[in-house]
Amino acid sequence: MSDIFPKWTNRLPLQILAGGAVTMASVVAGVWYYFTPEYTRVGYQPIQPVSFSHNIHVDQLGMDCRYCHNGVESSWYSNVPSSSTCMACHNQVLKDDPKLALVRESAASGKPIPWVQIHKTPDYVYFNHAVHVNRGVSCVHCHGQINQMDEVFHAKPLGMAFCLECHRQPEAFLRPPEEVYNLNWRAENPTRQLADGARFVKEWDVKKLENCSACHR
Amino acid sequence: MSKTIPPACPEPESGPTYWRSLEQLAGTPEFREWAEREFPEGASELRDDWHRRDFMKLMSASFLLAGLGLTGCRRPVETIHPFAKQPEGYIHGVSKYFATAMPARSSAIPLLVKSHEGRPIKIEGNPEHPLNAALTDEAGHKHGGTNLFAQASILNLYDPDRARRFLFKGQNSSRARACDALAELAKKFTDAQGKGMCVLMERSSSPSRARLQQALTAKFPQARWFIYEPMDGALAGQAAAQAFGQAVRPLYRLDKARRILALDADFMAADDDSYLLIRGFAKGRRLRSADDDMNRLYVVESLMTVTGANADHRLRLPSSQVAPLAMFLTAQMIEAGGQKDTTPGAAEFVSALLEKSKGLPEVARTWAAACAEDLMANAGSVVVLAGERQPLEVHLLAHAMNFYLGRQAGAVSYVADVTPPAGTIVELATALNAGEVETLVMLGGNPAYNAPADLDWPAAQRKAGTVIRLGYFEDETAPQCDWHLPLAHYLESWGDLRTADGTLVPVQPLIEPLFGGLTELEVLARLGGLPVTRPYDIARETFKLAVGDAEFEEKWKRYLHDGFLAGTAAPAVQVEIDWPAITPAVLGLAVPEVPTAQRLEVAFARAYSVDDGRYANNGWLQELPDPVSKITWDNVIALSQKTAQELGVVVVDRNRMDLSVPVLRIAVGNRTIEGPAWIQPGMADGVVGVTLGYGRPRAGRIGRGVGYDAYPIRTSTGMGFASGARLEITNRKFPLSCTQNHWTMQGRPVIREANLEEFRKDPGFANAMNLHEPPGPRGPDGQPKPAYPNPLDTAKLEATHWWGMSVDLNGCVGCSACVIACQSENNIPIVGKEQVNRGREMHWMRIDRYFAGSVAEPQVVNQPMLCQHCEAAPCESVCPVNATVHDNEGLNVMAYNRCVGTRYCSNNCPYKVRRFNFFDYNRRPITELYKSPLVSFTDGEWELKRWFKDRDRGSRPQDEWDLVKLAKNPDVTVRMRGVMEKCTFCLQRIEGAKIAQKIKAGASADVAVPDGTFKTACQQACPADAIVFGNLRDETSRVSKATASQRTYKVLEFLQTKPRVTYQARVRNPNPKMPDYHAQPLTTREYLDAGGTLGHHGDGHAAGYGHDAKGETKGAH
Repeated sequence: MSDIFPKWTNRLPLQILAGGAVTMASVVAGVWYYFTPEYTRVGYQPIQPVSFSHNIHVDQLGMDCRYCHNGVESSWYSNVPSSSTCMACHNQVLKDDPKLALVRESAASGKPIPWVQIHKTPDYVYFNHAVHVNRGVSCVHCHGQINQMDEVFHAKPLGMAFCLECHRQPEAFLRPPEEVYNLNWRAENPTRQLADGARFVKEWDVKKLENCSACHR
Repeated sequence: MSKTIPPACPEPESGPTYWRSLEQLAGTPEFREWAEREFPEGASELRDDWHRRDFMKLMSASFLLAGLGLTGCRRPVETIHPFAKQPEGYIHGVSKYFATAMPARSSAIPLLVKSHEGRPIKIEGNPEHPLNAALTDEAGHKHGGTNLFAQASILNLYDPDRARRFLFKGQNSSRARACDALAELAKKFTDAQGKGMCVLMERSSSPSRARLQQALTAKFPQARWFIYEPMDGALAGQAAAQAFGQAVRPLYRLDKARRILALDADFMAADDDSYLLIRGFAKGRRLRSADDDMNRLYVVESLMTVTGANADHRLRLPSSQVAPLAMFLTAQMIEAGGQKDTTPGAAEFVSALLEKSKGLPEVARTWAAACAEDLMANAGSVVVLAGERQPLEVHLLAHAMNFYLGRQAGAVSYVADVTPPAGTIVELATALNAGEVETLVMLGGNPAYNAPADLDWPAAQRKAGTVIRLGYFEDETAPQCDWHLPLAHYLESWGDLRTADGTLVPVQPLIEPLFGGLTELEVLARLGGLPVTRPYDIARETFKLAVGDAEFEEKWKRYLHDGFLAGTAAPAVQVEIDWPAITPAVLGLAVPEVPTAQRLEVAFARAYSVDDGRYANNGWLQELPDPVSKITWDNVIALSQKTAQELGVVVVDRNRMDLSVPVLRIAVGNRTIEGPAWIQPGMADGVVGVTLGYGRPRAGRIGRGVGYDAYPIRTSTGMGFASGARLEITNRKFPLSCTQNHWTMQGRPVIREANLEEFRKDPGFANAMNLHEPPGPRGPDGQPKPAYPNPLDTAKLEATHWWGMSVDLNGCVGCSACVIACQSENNIPIVGKEQVNRGREMHWMRIDRYFAGSVAEPQVVNQPMLCQHCEAAPCESVCPVNATVHDNEGLNVMAYNRCVGTRYCSNNCPYKVRRFNFFDYNRRPITELYKSPLVSFTDGEWELKRWFKDRDRGSRPQDEWDLVKLAKNPDVTVRMRGVMEKCTFCLQRIEGAKIAQKIKAGASADVAVPDGTFKTACQQACPADAIVFGNLRDETSRVSKATASQRTYKVLEFLQTKPRVTYQARVRNPNPKMPDYHAQPLTTREYLDAGGTLGHHGDGHAAGYGHDAKGETKGAH
């Protein structure tokens, strides 16, 4: 009786097992990395209809975030400024600059400028800007060093795990209210941050909001 | 850092056109093209598929989503379109409230409407209005209730079947041409002095409209004015004018009444001011302690109504026999009331009344005698109300009784009535048939559907030379009109109204007319060729007449801000009864015989859900279970059990999935109607109850053909009821969808009741009905120890708030306004009749209605049932994916994105309050739930292909979809197929209030939401103010106080679920001298008969939110 299966097939189950394990591991690793906001969102930097530079306006000219994003303290939504807000300065400054043609046109015609959205939470997340900035959470935590960006890009993943980092340990992130809009501010050292943060948590009655209901309605 | 280059910038869009000015709208080429286009073929019929309505493209809500189709590599590119010029004071994302008012026939409902980014999304009552402010309780808690129509009216605004175009002889026309036509008429009739012009209107309290009517009368002295309302509550006013010899109408303050008698008057549901009357009634029944007094309600009625369900004593009597009963009562009061009338003729009047009431059945006579005695014993604080079904004579008698018994305490007062004179529809039909009408102008109304059948309205209307109609729908009346103009919704209109007390209230728009509709005021002004035609200017002119020129702008702003003009309530008028006017009228009334099964009496009622038919296309209302019968999507022919047996009508309800009832044919004279049979407990024998407002052939895609039409047997001589009807049983069956077919609680103490005396003896009676807890280990506090420790017990110690609710069953009348409010606030979809039949209705809040006692003479109880937010929630422990969990403030929350739809939670919920999305009810029309995308077409495109292009939209036609989206509350997730949902305690409002408080707190610890900062949707809508919600951790909060009431109990407390919703037991106030007195409420009787006891055991009066360290129940009292 001849062999139906040649000798080398004896090793086949092991090889399949090993190969399968490697494949599985790479699939898991791939999904782990590539399917997360860490990869899919961070770095997103679309070209905007007007090449607005936060770097020039904030770091070089020293403007406050709230001059343009004036709804941030009272609304869930931090508004993109209207064209008329831009024109408040730009009817004096760089008033014939070709880069600002669209802004001037928009202000004159009433047609809005279609800014491309970068930061966005899913529809089932009810993020609220006002409650964060009024309670010692700075813009920089979620938006990165936007004051240094010439073109805005998505700096942080903004996934649920990202939110929970802070919601589980608010003391590591809270800062004095007057430094919320100072994107360059850092605590002197991590120990100081934790000590001050813990004081804020106590004095302001900050809760570690890990309930589903905090964000999902 | 990788850079993504999006496609070239899309052409900046001008955004949505919803709130642009009409002029702009008319100027766009799309609009002109649409307006001028020939009338599309077949569009005159209301069909399901209005495919060609390209108009909606113009309306497409593309802002924020403009770039959706331009898919990038990672995710769709979305663009943000900020304002080019930011409006002053506008902050994106912050909702605003505007004060306005909803027209309610001869009255108005003062409202606050929430506007989110320019679109109205939720309607609330205005608590500052003097009528509401007068009912503020001792603790200063302000409340303004609404009724269910006010809550649902917002859906009418976003109704895709609204009249959306100007039509001339069935062809599309334009607004400009319509206005030209009106101007021509104005010119023509100026020369003719208005001869041949007739205006048919709906009843309205608008002073501006009255002013315009006067202005037009001055210009066209020969023009004639008519008013028609199929269900008209103005009869009480007409009777008052006759009884007191001056133009007055009554104003009832039920909170000041100790005894209320309703003569076939369903004042809790079928009244223009039902929201106010319920509030007063409930206030008069509020029991804070055992010493408090409460009012007593006597009801005489033929049908089982919401009012009858709340009666302490109820006499079922055919509507025709209410008149002799009223005569008997009046005679008793004049004669034996101790305030003998010395007016000449009074004695003769009394004997004549007694003579006329001889035919009254003996049962009714003894009932009435005892009732009269009680009313007289409380003289001075009695209110007698007569219903709209009753003839003028009964209203006259009611005024006579009020005159004797109601004035002293201010429960009844009379205020001047300023309604301009108008004729009736019968007079108009006569004029039409005589060929006297050259031009008929109809402002609203739908007479082709609801005019009295004997007038043969469609034929009469055709005899007018020209018919111009302003209508909200292209409905039954529309095809016979020469001009059909779209009517603007009240949320799109400028105007003014007067509330019941005469206070001037503004109607201010929250949005430009979505479809360019006109208001009544504008049409009248143009018809009269008046110089001022803008409704805004008209309303301001009227206001100027009221306040004068001084500081006009400030006063106007204040008026719009407050939603009323203080101090404009009509002063009370001193009245003296005019016997010579009443006597012959009353004695001239012919009283029909007592009806029998062979000579039936048909009683007409407006539908609780669709009113007289005007809300037939409102899905929320169609799906609302009738507060009494709990039937959805249909009206029925109601019979008493005895009459049904005599006639051989058998309604078997073997099980709920197959509720098929025989179809009956009712004949009055030679007019017949057919409808499904229903046996209604508590109906008077020999009476057939038919509900108006259904069976509309041209209502729209929701209401078309729903139910049967009862108007064909309603004639101008029998608007309230018709005698001598015959009933036949056809051999057809008809399926009904009823949400609660079981009638009794079978002795289970789900709703707990006591009589007032019993409550005074034992204020803790409710907890005496607690069942024994299951055996098992007990904790140190004597409470049963749960099998597992509940994590919430420790977690909640950290929480600032413990949210809880208390429902006072003594206040709840079952009106169902809360159900619609919840639906509006929480984006709850409708599911359709077939799905309701399968038990898949989605209402987060339902009103359970139980009958106790005999089928003939039952007692009724109502209980709002919603998620009880159990601290030890049975639903949570069975969820395999942790989709339903507790937060530390005590909310049982649903994470929709986690839910995989096992429905274990629903199975394990003892209160049956969880709702499952069996289909994507939001994205699919309810008629196409079962259709595969492979074989269906939407807007003429293959469904699957269309879905691939736009996955968001679902299979609704485009016009429907855009409006459906507009009506949604953006603060609440819209759930999709396969997920469970349920009451969240209005989580969005809780979080909104917490966030607002934290913003205010800033760098401080002041984060506790102050009591009364916000209300849940049901609480805010409740006209009875029976629902209290708040923080149980704060001992001074209203909810803590309400929960501490001795009447507080928990439903199914023996399951140890520790609900956060508690109920305050109901107290009845029966009169021991009445023939139908029961020493105990019948539900309590049932409970005792089923083996229940009234021993005190279990926890005491506190509901289990003691403020001791563990948060456990305090000991027994």
